[in-house]
Amino acid sequence: MKIRFVLSIVLVCLGLVAAILPQRQNSSMELDAKQLLNEIQLENYMISVDEMANALINNDPEYQLIDVRSEEAFKAYSLPGALNIPFEKLFDEAWAPYIDQVARKNVFYSNGTTLASEVWMLTRQKGFKNNYILRGGLNNWYATVLDPKEPVATDGEEAFFDYRARLGMKQFFTGEGTPASTSNVKAKKPVPRRKKKMVAGGCS
Amino acid sequence: MGPIIPLFEISEEINLLIAFLIGLGFGFALEQAGFSSSRKLAGMFYGYDITVLKVFFTAAITAMLGLLFMNYLGMIDMSIVYVNEYFMSSAIVGGVIMGAGFIIGGFCPGTSVCAAAIGKIDAMYFIGGSLIGILLFGQTYPLWEHLHNAQQLGSLKLSDTLGLPDGLLGLIVIVAAVGMFWIGEMAEKRFKREDISKEI
Repeated sequence: MKIRFVLSIVLVCLGLVAAILPQRQNSSMELDAKQLLNEIQLENYMISVDEMANALINNDPEYQLIDVRSEEAFKAYSLPGALNIPFEKLFDEAWAPYIDQVARKNVFYSNGTTLASEVWMLTRQKGFKNNYILRGGLNNWYATVLDPKEPVATDGEEAFFDYRARLGMKQFFTGEGTPASTSNVKAKKPVPRRKKKMVAGGCS
Repeated sequence: MGPIIPLFEISEEINLLIAFLIGLGFGFALEQAGFSSSRKLAGMFYGYDITVLKVFFTAAITAMLGLLFMNYLGMIDMSIVYVNEYFMSSAIVGGVIMGAGFIIGGFCPGTSVCAAAIGKIDAMYFIGGSLIGILLFGQTYPLWEHLHNAQQLGSLKLSDTLGLPDGLLGLIVIVAAVGMFWIGEMAEKRFKREDISKEI
């Protein structure tokens, strides 16, 4: 009988301790400052303007653009297909399924990168995945896609490829102008040469 | 930080393998507690043996205290621990059917498998009956579908519903369990039967 008394008292005491302990909510998903610093240094949370433009042109459903500027700014100008989640409403319940999800790549953008980076850091610290920012924001979008600068002759071949691709993007997004010919070099014609003589003799 | 293996980070196959290993342990513990004897199980109903109550409540209290303390020590993230969803009507109807089956057949689904594994023929019949029941339910599911899905209340926790802190509810459960253990043992004396353990 004695052991039953002891066990009962021990159990109730454990229960008392559990009841007195303050309640706390752990979150294994949240990142601490060091982990966040690592992620920032990796810089793989950036999506380039060219990649984004290509995705928009191809109607790639993987990407979801999210405009984190104010509602007025969004109404004045926004990228095609973008959602508007103003900075101050970031953690509203209604937006939770959009910023904490595993299906798509969210791409935050603002005018520059400051606001979008802040949003990215907040969401990343919360442990949300699949969030990215548009490198350079709308300013870079304008400079790269809507108003691409022609590279100078000393630039590498790649710069010209990019430029031509961007002219195509510009045409897609603004609908203006066909891309001008970027080169005056005429295609080379084959120079007639004498045919190589067939190997004769031997075992052929 | 726990849970050691978050459900959504492992494949279905690994998940089933872990379930298999835990199941082996569970079956072993059931058999050791004497749950492969339908007389022991029915004893809970007639009051001459409350092992069922003791085993299940001790298990619940151990797990509950473990989670409460681990949560306090920052060792587990309770927000990603799976909580079974609660369907009120089907829980009530299912509970009645389960209780009736328990006292008629002398087993619950888990213990019947346990008893069949040690060669009890009544348990094998019991499993056969459950399988027929499952088949009938599956074949006539459209008839029950409404009842089956009615009053879905989501992943409810008793403490949230009552608005109590988890720890306080834990204390209440412990006090209730200890009380039941004592009352149960008194009942065991009152409804005492001859020792049948040698027959089984």
